[in-house]
Amino acid sequence: MIKFLNPSYVFKLSGKLLNLFKAFLLPIVVVGLIFSLFLSPEDYIQGDTVRIMYIHVPSAWISLLSFAAISFFCILNFLFKLKNVTLIYKSLAPIGLTFNIIAIVTGSIWGQPTWGTWWAWDARLTSMLVLMFFYITFIFSYKFINNPDRSIKACTLISVLGLINLIIIKYSVEWWSTLHQPSSISLTRETTVHFSMLIPLGLMLFALIMYVAVIFLMKYRIETIRIKRKGIRKL
Amino acid sequence: MSFEIFLMDGYGVYVWSSFGFTFLVCLFLYIRTKKTLKKLEKDFIKEAQNLPEEQFKDIRKQKIAKEILISHSRS
Repeated sequence: MIKFLNPSYVFKLSGKLLNLFKAFLLPIVVVGLIFSLFLSPEDYIQGDTVRIMYIHVPSAWISLLSFAAISFFCILNFLFKLKNVTLIYKSLAPIGLTFNIIAIVTGSIWGQPTWGTWWAWDARLTSMLVLMFFYITFIFSYKFINNPDRSIKACTLISVLGLINLIIIKYSVEWWSTLHQPSSISLTRETTVHFSMLIPLGLMLFALIMYVAVIFLMKYRIETIRIKRKGIRKL
Repeated sequence: MSFEIFLMDGYGVYVWSSFGFTFLVCLFLYIRTKKTLKKLEKDFIKEAQNLPEEQFKDIRKQKIAKEILISHSRS
């Protein structure tokens, strides 16, 4: 376990994992796309627009999970000052922001044929937009605050406040009357999505997680090399 | 293959634009990240090579630097 805190071990491991994930990424994406665009059935109410779910839902999940992970690592870093952890949240934040934007845009495109509008200021949509601002503020705070201690404090504060927003996002469809439907997939309740639609959804989630892993590892290596370059300049 | 598969009962424009947008954003992020990584690896090696012989030797002994050199020479 301790070796995972060793930056040189993690850097070497990241190179091996990167090659492995890259090899699997394209085939999984192709299979996921074939299932979600051509093989899955249309919905009896929404018709073919339901296919947007196969990218909208995994993207939203990834953006929420990324922020939860960022908050966890920020608190960990705030308490124990672990250098590797800083690299992890710096690598995760741009990915989370990207998937947050994808979720908002694809949700908006899905909203037009389903609700008859591109956007509504309802609780779920608005709280997802607020999450985007949290991501942007978070990225700005580690990019533009040069003092490392202040940067860690700012990042932790933003991520903890963002956690409250994550809870609002999760329960927004239950607490308020929203245009957005309640979640159809739950760990605690029975899922209301048919098995034939769960397969492409699972495949696309897996494909996007694989993509996230590839980008994350590349970003992790970027951040590590940046630190190493600073070391060279000091020589 | 019927053209209907792509039209999707008139909903094709929404479905394809959603997938297209996602594909383009993901492709952009991938290319940009890869380009940055390659550039940083290249700059790191260049800066290391500009150091005096002794210091360069020391850096080459470091595991991360060694890994960067291997990764860059592979690509």
